This record gives sequence, structure tokens and C-alpha cells, in this order.
Amino acid sequence: MAQAILEVDGFKKHFPTKRGTVKAVDGIDFSVESGATLGLVGESGSGKTTTAQCIIGIYPPTAGRIAFRGQDISRRFEARSRELKRSIRIVFQDPGSSLNPKRSIKQILSVPLAVHRQGSAKERLTLVRELLEMVELPPDEYMYKYPSGIGGGEKQMVAIARALATDPALVLLDEPTSALDVSVQGKIINLLIRLRRELGLTYLFITHDLSLMRNVASEVAIMYLGRLCEIAPTVEFFQNPAHPYTRMLLSSIPVVSVEEKALKPSKITSRGEIPSPVNVPPGCGFHSRCPEHSEHCSRIDPQMVEIGPAHVVRCHRFEGVAVATGAEETD
Amino acid sequence: MKAERRADLLATLAQRRRALAKGWYKFSRNPLSVLGLVVLTIVVLAAILAPFITPYPEHARPYTNFKAASLPPSAAHFFGTDRIGRDIFSRVIFGYRFSLMIGAVVLGLSVPLGVVLGLIAGYRNGSLIEVVIMRITDIFLAVPPLVLALAITAMLTPNLTNQMMAIAMVFWPWYTRLVFAVASSLRNEFFVRDAELTGASRAHILFREILPNCFAPIMTKMTLDMGIVILLGASLSFIGLGVQPPKPGLGTMVAEGAKRLPGEWWSTIFPALAIVIVILAFNLVGDGIRDVFAVEEV
Amino acid sequence: MTPLTDSTLLSIDDLHVGFRVFEGFLDVLNGVSLELGEGERVGLVGETGCGKTTTVKSILRVLPTPPARITGGRILYRGKDILRLSRRAMRHLRRVELTAIFQDPLTSLNPVFTIGTQLRDVVRDSLAGSGTKLTHREVEARCVKALAETGMADPERIMGSYPIQLSGGMRQRVCIAEALSTTAQLLLADEPTTNLDVTIQDQILRKLDELVDEKNVTVLIITHSLGVVMDLTQRLYIMYAGTMVEEGKTQEVFAKPLHPYSQGLMQSVPRLTGEGVSEGIPGRIPNYLDPPSGCRFHPRCEHAMPVCEEHKPPMLEAGIDRRVACFLYGGE
Repeated sequence: MAQAILEVDGFKKHFPTKRGTVKAVDGIDFSVESGATLGLVGESGSGKTTTAQCIIGIYPPTAGRIAFRGQDISRRFEARSRELKRSIRIVFQDPGSSLNPKRSIKQILSVPLAVHRQGSAKERLTLVRELLEMVELPPDEYMYKYPSGIGGGEKQMVAIARALATDPALVLLDEPTSALDVSVQGKIINLLIRLRRELGLTYLFITHDLSLMRNVASEVAIMYLGRLCEIAPTVEFFQNPAHPYTRMLLSSIPVVSVEEKALKPSKITSRGEIPSPVNVPPGCGFHSRCPEHSEHCSRIDPQMVEIGPAHVVRCHRFEGVAVATGAEETD
Repeated sequence: MKAERRADLLATLAQRRRALAKGWYKFSRNPLSVLGLVVLTIVVLAAILAPFITPYPEHARPYTNFKAASLPPSAAHFFGTDRIGRDIFSRVIFGYRFSLMIGAVVLGLSVPLGVVLGLIAGYRNGSLIEVVIMRITDIFLAVPPLVLALAITAMLTPNLTNQMMAIAMVFWPWYTRLVFAVASSLRNEFFVRDAELTGASRAHILFREILPNCFAPIMTKMTLDMGIVILLGASLSFIGLGVQPPKPGLGTMVAEGAKRLPGEWWSTIFPALAIVIVILAFNLVGDGIRDVFAVEEV
Repeated sequence: MTPLTDSTLLSIDDLHVGFRVFEGFLDVLNGVSLELGEGERVGLVGETGCGKTTTVKSILRVLPTPPARITGGRILYRGKDILRLSRRAMRHLRRVELTAIFQDPLTSLNPVFTIGTQLRDVVRDSLAGSGTKLTHREVEARCVKALAETGMADPERIMGSYPIQLSGGMRQRVCIAEALSTTAQLLLADEPTTNLDVTIQDQILRKLDELVDEKNVTVLIITHSLGVVMDLTQRLYIMYAGTMVEEGKTQEVFAKPLHPYSQGLMQSVPRLTGEGVSEGIPGRIPNYLDPPSGCRFHPRCEHAMPVCEEHKPPMLEAGIDRRVACFLYGGE
């Protein structure tokens, strides 16, 4: 009965600047089923944060369509209904700046409650306590503190509580634990997993940490230079990584055990740097760094093809293997 | 439910008290700031209690006594008397009332105006309203403060009220510019974004999210500005466009006594010193306030 | 512990550092000891707030000493106590012998000068410290060579660029070039790749590995990322709340961490093998205003014994070239 709660179709986001048009996202398609955790993975310049920003409504798309529960939501947050603002929420990357340093935790958590829930100040007070308990922060201790008086992990838990205060359906998590120590990360991730189950949430989890994705996501999508390279269910993804960029990414991850080392693709090592998104090279965006590229790759942009159950790749090397998805024509 | 609200209030108050204690600690690190605060407290108290602590409170009102005119400083008259026999010490204390009142009224008018304009312009940076507000601000800032105050007072009748309005017109643009800088840089911070995305009202974002982050520079500037306002007020009175005789404005007294230099030096020097002392006190306190809000690096 | 090579380059001996703040006194470094042998590659691993940056700053003597106070211990560089050196001697040391790379290359480079200007300054300054004088052309050549060595494709163009025009990875390469173009023998790298993309991080670490090998520089890498030290270092120290808790050969510490904190840390790292995410280590890092008595980890330790609260565990031998500061391994 799982239904796609989020659908992204031909989505593009370009930013005109003096130096030229920055093509932050240049045509991506994916969908997320209700209750899933989609891991959106990419490095800087990949467009993953821009994608999240458009889903939440910080920017309107330049082209394409974003649909939530079947409804088109491709517009800025100002033009969105209150109901939509309630249903899709975001947890930002940097806990240090996502909480107003001059407001107490109680005041911070009261804001979404005041906007979206009718009720008196007394009722809000009770709700704030409930929210803090939900993220395992003792209310009496934390309500009156200021962000500067609590640690990074706790700040992030407050940010999560704030996101969940409106009882949303879809939560975007933009690198929620990247700025945190590894011993704190576990607590936050487990909290997120538990809350997803208990509250029936869907997550779009953005990160660059593939080791984390391996343990959290139900599906993984890799972005590079504004395009999607590969999408697959998690286990399939890590067992059969197809795209050369995916394999380069996997080979670069610092790991801590011999077993993990054995899992990393060995024949491909990282080289080169991401080109500027103003000057996207013609053909496949990755060809300048790809150890397996051919002359064809520098001229023609590849299309998504399906190479396994729910596993799609956008790379010329796989075009002979399977039929193209959708209505796109292969070249 | 009632009990919860009370507990909430108590906890919030406790937090405020802690913040105050910490603020005092930082302020008191600098002995000069504490000195400034002490002097300022004395001046303010003296001004408030003027009728009760001055030896000759009636001399602040129209009064003449040519028999006691132009007396040098003595035990009976600490600062001597002026040419119509009024005790300068008492008049100076009463003069402080005008100075402090001018400061309070001017800042009370110009700061809210300047801050609100700055918040709007900063938050809507890049829009038409920002351009309009900031260019008007620029125009006001382009005119030298004293000249602007002069021009406005000269157009109206010279008296205390108009003097205060004129100076207020000089001051609001500085606060607009200050708050504009902070607001426009905070506009893209995650916590402001989050409030917007949640659907909070514009008023909430301006006054509850952005404004609290502007307090530090506003407070510091206000304390330092008190000194400047007082000086500006005294300057206007000195030229004759402010506090009118026979009222004991400090600037007015300096002007009256200036004609008598160097002979009856006391009728000018003491009012002038009084101005210097109060401005200095405000500046020292301002430095201390700045220390209170300075972010510590550990 | 004896380092793996013959001569000890740097030795920190029971260092105590604290900070005076409004609320009281932050007792941060509580007897930190560390040894680096010449030519060694050593890692110092610890999480946020454990005091590793304070340690680095103490070595370079760039701690702001009004709030900070060094209340005990010595730092010996080639036998001389750095903490007792005159300011002039310290400056000389920083010019000629010590060099550092920090976490954020954008703030390590001066934004208003070109890379060339900065690099030339560094090269000339370091050589002046050892009395050599080179011509313009020689200095230029050295700079370009240093940049090329870090794997940059077009060093001449980089020389004329401003930091803001370069990507994070390139900036960090510039910082590495600056650090390694000096005559320095000791490189302190404080989170050198934390802010970089993982594919760039991989390239930079491999390059650093090569260069350090070539120039026979001694390196102390400070990081919170266990994966980074695994490949890059021969020996490892693990730090918690201002104390060293474990040290040993990197491979051995990873294979079998002894201290409960080290064990918790290793367990917390999400694995590519997909076992799920551990709960992390319960509790919080201690408040330095009122740190736990005895072993600073005892409130969070599932093996805590009464003695752990009363006495601070010394570094105990736990095998060949292996030490742990934990009463589970003896020392009562």
C-alpha cells in the first residue's frame, strides 16, 4: 500500500549570476514512498542541498515539477498553504546556526506550536515539555537554557523536536549529524529511526557519509554536478555499485576495519576535482574525472537505464545492458 | 495549570538573574567602567534629588541678588555665583536635569524609529522599500549633525522641545544603518529561514528573531550616544538655540560665563567641567557595556 | 612509551592547562603526555572538547594566556623545554622547526594577498631563520615546486590567484605546500581534511602520505575521524576530556581497543558492512568546571569500579608498545 509521497519530475534549478548561469540542479527524477528513508548522497556542488531547498520551498524550481501526495508544490514557501508548511519540515545542517542564540529552548520550540496549533500559552507549555521528552531531553533542565549552553548533539535534538512539532509527514534532514562527533551521532540517528517508526514519517536524508547511509537508508540516490548518477535500494546499491562516480566515492571513504576495506572497490581511486557548475562540460558531467570514459562520453549525455530491480544508472557503459526507463530515447 | 505557569515564570526569572550576574562580572573587570558607573549614578541621583540636596534650589528659577553677584568659589557657594547672584553649584545640578532629560527623550524617540526602519530595510534587502529607506537615511547622514540640528531648530522657535526634536532627527539614521547591517546579515541564517518556513509572521521574525540579536550593538551605541546627545544639546544651548535663559541649561551657562573669562572663570569652567564629567562617565560605561556583550573565545 | 625510532623529537610531559572564565576555572588538560620520535607518523584522536586543539596550541605556544594558564608540565623539543623559551627563541623555533596545518584553509590563508605572495613570504621567512638567502628566481622556483608536489595541475596560475578563487581542496593543498616548503621537521596537522569532500580528502591524505615520506618529516595528526588515522599513522593516542587514555600501534589499537572509551568510540562508527548504528556512548563530555574525580571517564563507563572515582589511573603497560590509562588493566 506504499504510495509515493514525494515525486520529483524533470526538476531543474538554475541560478543566473554575473559569471554565467549556475546549473545547481539540471534535470533529476525520483520518487519517495511513504515511510521510506531516501538517502540523497553527493559532495559539494552536487546539488543535493539545492534540491532540498526547493522541496521545502526556499526557492521555486526553474523547470520541472515537485509533487507532494500528488499535488504540485513547485513554488516558494510564501505561496504555499499553511497545511503544506506543516507537513513538510526540515532539519538543517549546522546546529550552531539553526537555533536563534538569543532565544531560549522553550521560546524556540514555541514558534511552530504558536503558528500551527490553536491553544493557549499554557497548552503550548505542556506541548513543549512533551516535545523535549520525545527527544529524550529532560524538560526541566533544558527548557530555559540557551543554545550556547548546550552541546552540538543536544542542539540538533532540539532542531529535530522543532521540526516534528507540527506533526509533519515528510522530514528533510540536511546532513543532520555531519557537524557532530561520532559518539553523539549514534544517539541522534537512533532517535530519528525510532521516531520515523513511531510517527509514521518519511525521510529525505541528505549526506555525504556513505557508511551512515548503509545503516539508515532504505534507498540511496547519488548526485553529481546537478544530475543523478544512480539510484538503488540500499543493499543492492552496496553490493553492486555501478556508476564510476559511485565507485570512486565508495573507494574514498575512510573506514576503520579490515572487513570494510575488503568491501571497498579497489581498482578505482579518486582523482580530479568537480568542475564549476557554471562551466559544465558537455556530455556526461563526470567524464573529466572518470577513469573509464570514452570519447563518446565527452559528447553525449547519458540517460537513466534500469539495470536491476529498482536500480537505475546514468552511464554510457550500461546502455547496452538494459532498456531505458521512461519515455527517454537512448542515443 | 496555574502552578505550571508560575513555575515557568520563576524559571525564566532565574535565568535572567543569572545572565545579569554574568553581565556584571564582565562589566566589573574594567575598573574604569565601574568608575564611570559610579559617577553616572551620582549624577543621576543628584539630578533627581536636586530640589532636596542643593543649597539654593530657588536659584534655578528666576532670581536675582546683586549683592551676592560674581563671588568666587567659597564654602557658601561651592562654584561661586554668576553675575546676577545665582549659586552656580545649584544651577549646575539642576542643569544636569536638562541634560539627562534631553538624552532620554532624544534616544527614546530616535532609537525606536531608527531600529524599526533598519529592521524592515535589512530584512527586505534588495527590495524597493529597502532602497527608499536607506537612501533617505543616507541623505540625513550626509549632513553634519550640528548643522542639521541647527537648521531644524532655526526653522522652529528655539526652545527645549524643538531642540530635542531636532537632535532626534539627527540620531535616528545611525540606528537604522546599524540595525540594517545586522538584519541583512541575519536574513539568511538558518534560524530565520526556519521561522519563515514554519510560517511565522513578518512581525515575529523582525521583532522576535532578528531584533534580539541586535540588542548588543544597540545598547552599546545608546550608552555612547548619550554623551554625544548631551554635547549636541549643550552646543545648541551655547549658541542660544536650546535651553533659554534664565533656565539653567549647562550649555547656556557656559555661554553666559564665557563672556567673563578669564576674570570670573568659575561661571564658565564649572558648567563646562560638569558637561565633560557626565559625557566621560557615559563613555566609560559604554566601554563596559561593550565588554559585557563581547563574545569570549575559549 | 618509547617511540618507534631512536631519537625523541617532541615530548609532552604531564601537561596541565586551564582557562579562567566567569564561572570559575576550566581544568582542561589534566596531565597530558605524548612522545614523538623523529620520522614518526602519530595520530591524536579525540572528540570535540577533549582538549586536542589546546594541546596543539600549547606546543606552538599560541594559547591566549590571559584566559589560558599552563599550570604544570613541560614540552620538550629536542630536549629543550618550549614553555620556558624566550619569545625570540620561540619565534625562531616556529620559523625553522615547527609547522602546522589547520582545519579551515579559508581562515588560514590571508584573503587579500595572492597565493604567490603568501607562499613566497613563508619560504623566505623560513630560510631567513636558518640563515640562507635565495634570489627571487630561486624562491619562485621553490614555491612552484612546492605547489606542484601537492598534485596541483597548474601551479603558476595558482601562484597568481587569491584564496577565494580556489576550491577548498586546492586551498588545503596550498596550506600543505606552505607547511612542507619550510625547513620544518615537525608538522602538526589539526583536522587537515575535515571540511573537505570525501573524494578530495582521500586525494589529499594520500598526497600528504607521499610527501611526508619523501621529506622525512615527523607528523602529528590531530583528528576526530578514526578512518583518517587508520591508514596514515603508525602510532595512535586516544584522548578523552583532557587526558590520554590509550596509546599503541595504530593497527593494534584498531584491532583490539582496550580502554572502554576507545571501545565505545570504535563501536560508534557506522560500518560499511551494515550492522546498524550503535547507540553511541551514553552521557556527555564532562564539564571542565567540575570534572569527575579520578578517571574522567568513570561516570560514562560500564565497567567503573570504586577505585576509578578515587584515583586517576596512570598509563599502564598492557603489552608491547601498548599502554592504557585504566584500572581494568592493573595498577591498584
